[in-house]
Amino acid sequence: MRHRVARAAEIPPGGMVLVPLGRRGVGVYNVRGAFHALSNLCPHAGGPVCRGDVTGTTVAGGAPYAQEWVRDGEILRCPWHAWEIDITTGRTITDPTRTVATYPVTVEDGWVVVEVDER
Amino acid sequence: MSAAPIPPAAGIVDCAVHPAPRHPDDIRAYMREPWRSRPFPGLQRYFYPAPNGDFDPAAGPNPGTDPDLVARHVLRDRGAAAAILLPQTRGLLPDLDLAAAICAATNDWLAAQWLDRPGFYGSIRVSPADPVQAVAEIERWAGHPRMVQVAVPMQAHQPYGQRLYAPIWEAAARHGLPVAVHIDSASGVELQTTPVGAAAHYVEWSALYPLNFGVHLASFIAEGVFGRLPDLRVVFADGGIDMLPPLAWRMDKNWRPTRNETPWVDRTPTAYLRQHVRFLSHRLEGPADAATRAKWLSLTGAANLLMYGSSYPAWDGCDPATAVAGADSATATRILGASARDWYRLAGEAAQA
Repeated sequence: MRHRVARAAEIPPGGMVLVPLGRRGVGVYNVRGAFHALSNLCPHAGGPVCRGDVTGTTVAGGAPYAQEWVRDGEILRCPWHAWEIDITTGRTITDPTRTVATYPVTVEDGWVVVEVDER
Repeated sequence: MSAAPIPPAAGIVDCAVHPAPRHPDDIRAYMREPWRSRPFPGLQRYFYPAPNGDFDPAAGPNPGTDPDLVARHVLRDRGAAAAILLPQTRGLLPDLDLAAAICAATNDWLAAQWLDRPGFYGSIRVSPADPVQAVAEIERWAGHPRMVQVAVPMQAHQPYGQRLYAPIWEAAARHGLPVAVHIDSASGVELQTTPVGAAAHYVEWSALYPLNFGVHLASFIAEGVFGRLPDLRVVFADGGIDMLPPLAWRMDKNWRPTRNETPWVDRTPTAYLRQHVRFLSHRLEGPADAATRAKWLSLTGAANLLMYGSSYPAWDGCDPATAVAGADSATATRILGASARDWYRLAGEAAQA
C-alpha cells in the first residue's frame, strides 16, 4: 500500500521523519536529495534503529593508523548496540548478510510516497 | 589421561625445547666487553618456584644443558624428527644495551653449541624494547639455515601490537620467520604479574600468567598489525589455547559496534587467527577426560591452531600422548608435526615424515 508520508520540502537533505507504518514504524531519510525508507527494526537485536544518529564512518587510510571520515550523512547508528547501517541500502556495515528492511520511495506531486505492504 | 594413539609416521616436531648453558654465565664467552664483565641476572625465576623445582627430574642433574642428552630425550626417545630450541634470556632489563648483548650472546651460543646437530632448529632471541637493535639481530641471523623463528618474552611494558614494535614484526615477516612469545625466565624490571597486582602463589601465577597472550593478541589485531603484515605469524609458546575461543567470541562481538575506531581491522578478529596465530600445547589445557577432550578439540577448532611443544626440561612439560589425547589420527598428525612443518617451512631431516 502506498502512503503519502510528508511534503518533500518537510524532509530537507540530512533530515528524516519517523512515520507509523509497518510493524515498528518506518524512517524516511533524505540523503543529499535522495529519499530512502528503512524499517525501524535493527536486524541485530531488534532495536529501534531509526532513533539512532545519522552520521558517517571511517575507512583505513593509506598509511599505518591513518583513517578517513567518509559517507557523512549516509550511515545510521543503532541506539542499542551501535551497529552501523548504510541508509542507502539498509545493509549493516560489518555483516552484509544482515539488512534493515527497505521500502520503495517516490516523490509524486511534491509528496514523499512510501510503499509499505506489511501491517 | 588416557594415552592417544600416536601415528607411527607422525614425524613429531617438538616446537618448544629450552636449552640452557651449563652455567648461566657461560654465554659471557660470546660477549665482548664491556658486557662480558657486567653483572646480570641468572636464569632462575625468582618469585614463583615450582613445587618440586623447575625441572623434570628425568632431565638429569643439569637439565637442558647437554646437547647429546637433550637430543636423546626429546628426539630419539620420543621418535621426534625435529626440536625447535628456544633458550631463555634474562627478563626485561632496564639497560637496553645489556639486554641486546645478552640476546646476541645467547644466539651465538645456540648456533655454536647446538644448531650443528641433526634435528635441532633455533630461535633468534631479541629484546623488543629496543626495536633498532632487535631488527639488527634479526638481520644478523635471518640467513642462518637453522634459525627458524624470532623469540620474544611474554613480559612486556606495552602490548606487542603497539607501534613501537612495528619494525621488529616487519623484519620477521620480511624474512618469513614466525615470532614466538614465551614467558622469559629471570626477572628484570617488570610489571605486576596481573593487571590488579602480583599473584601470591605458584598456582595463581601458573594458571594466569600464560593468559597474557590475550593482551598481546588483542593488540596485534586491533592495532592492525596482522592487516598490514600478511606474512607475520605469531606463536604463543606457553599455551593458553583453551582460553582463545572465549576471547575470540568477546572480541568478535564488540568489533561490530567499535569497528569505526579501528577501520584497518576489516574482518572479525577471529578471521585473522588461522593465517597469523598458533599455540603450543600445554598439559593444563582442555578437559581431563579423553572423550570430552575430543569434543573440545573439534568444537573450538583448537586442533587447527595447535602444535606440539614439550617445554622440555620444565617440570610441567607435555609429552606427545598428552598433547593429542582425544584427537583422531589425522588431527594428531597435524598437532604433532604436520602443522609445524608447514608453519616453520622446515627443510632438511625434519621435512621428511
